[in-house]
Amino acid sequence: MYNYNSMATAMAAALPSFSSLTPHNPLSPRLSILFPTSSKSSPSSRPFLSLSSGLVLRTRAKPSDIDTSFFDNFDPEDEIPFDPPTPPEGFVPPPSFDEGPEETEDDVAAAYEELYGPGYSGVSVLGNDIYVMDSKVKKTSAFEKTKEDKVRDGFEERVVQVRRVTKVVKGGKQLHFRAVVVVGDKQGQVGVGVGKATEVIGAVQKSAVNARRNIITVPMTKYLTFPHRSEGDYGAAKVMLRPASPGTGVIAGGAVRIVLEMAGVENALGKQIGSKNALNNARATVVAVQKMRQFRDVARERGIPMEELWK
Amino acid sequence: MARRYWNINLEEMLEAGVHFGHGTRKWNPRMAPYISAKRKGIHIINLTRTARFLSEACDLVFDAASRGKQFLIVGTKKKAADSVVRAAIRARCHYVNKKWSGGMLTNWATTETRLHKFRDLRTEQKTGRLNRLPKRDAAMLKRQLSRLQTYLGGIQYMTRLPDIVIIVDQQEEYTALRECITLGIPTICLIDTNCDPDLADMSIPANDDAIASIRLILNKLVFAICEGRSSYIRNR
Repeated sequence: MYNYNSMATAMAAALPSFSSLTPHNPLSPRLSILFPTSSKSSPSSRPFLSLSSGLVLRTRAKPSDIDTSFFDNFDPEDEIPFDPPTPPEGFVPPPSFDEGPEETEDDVAAAYEELYGPGYSGVSVLGNDIYVMDSKVKKTSAFEKTKEDKVRDGFEERVVQVRRVTKVVKGGKQLHFRAVVVVGDKQGQVGVGVGKATEVIGAVQKSAVNARRNIITVPMTKYLTFPHRSEGDYGAAKVMLRPASPGTGVIAGGAVRIVLEMAGVENALGKQIGSKNALNNARATVVAVQKMRQFRDVARERGIPMEELWK
Repeated sequence: MARRYWNINLEEMLEAGVHFGHGTRKWNPRMAPYISAKRKGIHIINLTRTARFLSEACDLVFDAASRGKQFLIVGTKKKAADSVVRAAIRARCHYVNKKWSGGMLTNWATTETRLHKFRDLRTEQKTGRLNRLPKRDAAMLKRQLSRLQTYLGGIQYMTRLPDIVIIVDQQEEYTALRECITLGIPTICLIDTNCDPDLADMSIPANDDAIASIRLILNKLVFAICEGRSSYIRNR
């Protein structure tokens, strides 16, 4: 929810030239949306900040303190004067990297080790422990595996559909299982993922990993419903979502219901118009939800008081 | 970002041949704003723009280095490979100068496995275990070690994903660029007239064919990184 807030404030305040009227936008929309350098995303939620689940481009938030904003307002047509600041007094141009003193391998290794630790080099000039990266490797033995994967980072998984799919080769049929899983905490974050494997459990795990990569936030009102109606389609599946008054519950079928429940939406109406394919309907609900905006944000973007929106 | 003086002068760039683009037939029309003229069937890059972008890139790199970020320089062209190694060692950055294996960053878990294997082979070589094995096994392990050395030698000190990636030729390193985009890592790219300037976060229009021009640009960036690092060490 709050991601839209930060985006809208940044867009309204910091980029007056960034309207749909600028003809040249040398940057893809992905970068301009990710512009807010003061993004409020916490480090732990950064990997999940993705703007798509069904679109081809998967994006992630950049480390917010590297400011690549020079290119955002840039119009390539106008003349940029090249006026470098004056050199400081006594400025000696540094030697190129080829000239300059020759460094022995030990020197180089010591310098690198000082900066990064011994890493994976296997030699340690400064006396650090060369096996420092071993703690990263998780030794999975056959017994511990079932217990280890239960506890995850606050996201609940629900399997929408498991299908047995076949690939026909010269020798016969190769069977795989395809699992569609919806992952969500009940606080407004959901993700839909697919995964295929030769075993059902493996497929479910793969799809859960995939779902965690494409998480979106659902804009919700305080009565745990949508701000307004919306329609979304993906492939041949078309889904219509409608808010409802408190006490209604989630009235929707199959995949749509699971997605909305895992998002934490309590009251909503949804209908699958078009194809009944579970995966496509789940993705279509995600698309529909992404189209929704909070009233507050729209009013702020357009610069009008919120009351105007209800006229 | 405060703008500093990076000793960028246009005469130096003209000498190094930074302004030569590729042939007219191979251009990417998105590079039109950065091309100033067409001479003898070759596009000429507008050097004022290049200088400006180069100084901005140096500022960015200086800023990041003074905050202790990690860099990765990618350059697999045969011409550029040598200078990339020298430049990276001088700046104490990670580098990739032989083939960029697909998934090196996006499939970091697997790359880490390879790095572990590399480290184990190295320690075995140091302790002399390799000589005690039968000749065939020892030969196989030595071959593996040399392979890993060529491909992973530059990233052996990399413990996590880099924060900024500098790419020398966009056409050549397209996979690397795509990986950085999916992961959201800011990139600085040397763009020639047949490349797309909108893909990278910071693109420097320059000639990627001449060794002199690559060396010049790498020089400036390396200088910026060194300055940033020294200020990081001072203010730590």
